[in-house]
Amino acid sequence: MNARSSQPAEPATAGLLRTFSASLAALVAGLVLMLWTTEGGSAFTTETARRAAVERAPQPLPDLSVVGADGEVTTLGRLFASGGRVWIVDFVYTRCQTVCSALGSIYQQLQQRILDGDLKGRVGLLSISFDPGRDDAAALRGYAARMRMDVDVWRIVTLTSAADRRRLLDAFGIMVVPAPLGEFEHNAALHIVDGQGQLVHIVDYDSPAQALALARVLAP
Amino acid sequence: MRRPARRLPPSTAALLVGALAVGLSLPPMRSLIEQSMVWHMVIQMPLLVLSGWLSMGTVSGPSGMDRWAYWNRYGLSGFIAALIVMAYWMLPLTIDRAVVLPTADAMKVASLWFAGALLRHSFQRAPAVLQMFFMGTAVPMATWLGIHFASTDLRLCNAYSLQSQMQAGWGLAALAATSGTGWLLGLVRSAPRSKPLRNA
Repeated sequence: MNARSSQPAEPATAGLLRTFSASLAALVAGLVLMLWTTEGGSAFTTETARRAAVERAPQPLPDLSVVGADGEVTTLGRLFASGGRVWIVDFVYTRCQTVCSALGSIYQQLQQRILDGDLKGRVGLLSISFDPGRDDAAALRGYAARMRMDVDVWRIVTLTSAADRRRLLDAFGIMVVPAPLGEFEHNAALHIVDGQGQLVHIVDYDSPAQALALARVLAP
Repeated sequence: MRRPARRLPPSTAALLVGALAVGLSLPPMRSLIEQSMVWHMVIQMPLLVLSGWLSMGTVSGPSGMDRWAYWNRYGLSGFIAALIVMAYWMLPLTIDRAVVLPTADAMKVASLWFAGALLRHSFQRAPAVLQMFFMGTAVPMATWLGIHFASTDLRLCNAYSLQSQMQAGWGLAALAATSGTGWLLGLVRSAPRSKPLRNA
């Protein structure tokens, strides 16, 4: 101690070794943690992380029982397998006034493009209501009529059992939040499901052309 | 120095704030942070930091945390670690996880409490310049992020409505501005007066 302090030119950082080591360790650990959490700085929101995860590995979907506007009961698996089509899936509730009306008009455009082009019978549109409590077959029929759905292209279903809601939303990575005036907010997007019933892409709902292009690549 | 006649003992204050902050992660109060980003980010998270800060106040002293002082001279490592923890829980992704995953929420509670404890340990031994390093990083970070949350029309957290996000954004920016102002006022109050500048 004495020997050291008697040396004339002690640097200003003397005695700081442990502090500097701890700071360095905190910085390195923090950097690793941040990179790991944000997938290398590419995903700062749950939504980007969810889309990246689906791009890396297709997600299998649960084979839940659903009912359509015609009252016919089937399962998601059978629906996705029928006709060997690629499906573009979105999530709605029929009372929706906000983002779903935008989604609705985007689905109308998609339907028109499928009818006009060569994708009829190869790409299907599926709207799934996540509000089975309120959306019965009559409500779905009303929505289908409002949207002028062509049943050969665009179908709407909801769960037959409200108990399956959690599994459905978790499988697709949808989070539904109650919003003012009895509305819901949810991460709206276009989900592309291939012929094997696996979720393979998720794109922004305002990029329908991109969704159609991706579906075309997968379509038979 | 004016001193209130009756004052909570430091350990009681730390326990009360800690119980409130942790209680917000447990039912029945948990529904508050699940439904409102303001309750989560502007109330619970700062309360967790505050309870860590108050807890450190009960153990500091020659027999307490001073033996760790060599690892935290001038408060440097504590400031860095606290900045990292606070930045981490400001990411929309981690805020969502804390709402959905109980393990992530437990990590949030523990790490923010620890950040608060570290901050007190650091502020006690940091000169104004190093305090400025911390405040000069944390305050602009939280202010900018708050204004971003409040002004973007993108929903950044899947767990919260856009309206809730905007309120939390303004709240966060206000909290950051208040903390920065409070710290500056403290510096002004504690600064030595009318001392001639040597190297001016």
